[in-house]
Amino acid sequence: MNKLVKKTLITAVLAAAAFALYYNFSLLPGYQDLEKGISDYIITYGLHDTGSLNLITAVLYDYRAFDSLGESTVIFGAVSGIVLILSRKMLPVSSKGLSFIVKRTLGIMTPFIALFGFYVITHGHLSPGGGFQGGVILAAISIIFSIVYGSAFDYRRYSPQTKTVLETGGALTFLVIGLAGIVMEGAFLKNLGFLTAERGTLISAGSIPYINIGVGFKVGAGLAIIFYSMIQKTFEEDF
Amino acid sequence: MLTNLIFIILFMLGFYALIMKTNLIKNVIGLNLMEAAIFFWVISFSDIGGEVSIHKFGETMGKFNDPVPQALTLTGIVIGASTAALLLTLIIELNKFSGTIDRDQIEELND
Repeated sequence: MNKLVKKTLITAVLAAAAFALYYNFSLLPGYQDLEKGISDYIITYGLHDTGSLNLITAVLYDYRAFDSLGESTVIFGAVSGIVLILSRKMLPVSSKGLSFIVKRTLGIMTPFIALFGFYVITHGHLSPGGGFQGGVILAAISIIFSIVYGSAFDYRRYSPQTKTVLETGGALTFLVIGLAGIVMEGAFLKNLGFLTAERGTLISAGSIPYINIGVGFKVGAGLAIIFYSMIQKTFEEDF
Repeated sequence: MLTNLIFIILFMLGFYALIMKTNLIKNVIGLNLMEAAIFFWVISFSDIGGEVSIHKFGETMGKFNDPVPQALTLTGIVIGASTAALLLTLIIELNKFSGTIDRDQIEELND
């Protein structure tokens, strides 16, 4: 009974808060009426400043590149914490995988998944996508391997050491490009102008494609490490 | 108007799960629901009825949607995924020590 009273009370308070929020939000002016300032600047001059057709990538890796560096540091911290907490045993004991049909089908599909991941990473400045999105696709390959072929196969193909090297290499690529910005252009993570080629080609937009490749490898390896650390602890008792 | 309503309903559902449910995994789900509500709201007011903010090569484009909220949301999604993974890891480890993932039962273990 006490629990029911508490539940009813909390629900009533939340409903009142929801009503108050809705009333306040309905008083806000529409977004079109606001003075947009920085957004107007980016829409007007973004292509001219960075050479990147995709304005969202231009914001992420040029105007706010320092913020993206912090963001990848957050991923690095999360991966480090998870590995520190969970990893005790190197070779996980997991299932033997799924049936023969699934294994053969995935064997045909895997190169195309990898190709799509690399396409999304390298065309981040031309079309929707970028390092973070393509990195998640690359991490999915490792996860699918663990599920379909069993995690021992994933361990043999992409050992945790390889993943660690890839992740650290991605972070170092980002930092080196940032430091090269100091030497050549005079500011940390400033877009390297001498790399800019004709707009719309694959190698254009200064240092943005290279940062994308670094971030892609970093995110893919990081998420694969997270998944790998989690299964090796949870499957340990079952098999 | 409708987006505000959906945002508030999602946010309050997540907050309810966060404070009322005693299962820790349900708490993490509630936290992620609150995050998703905020991302939805931020993205919704970047849409001013223009085109996707990507230049097509060799064409002059019309009015663009605002790219800044979308870039901010991308940052938020990545950080949300990292924190969720770290929280779930801590729950796995807590289950090792206490044998349960229920908040109330873990508090009783202390007594």
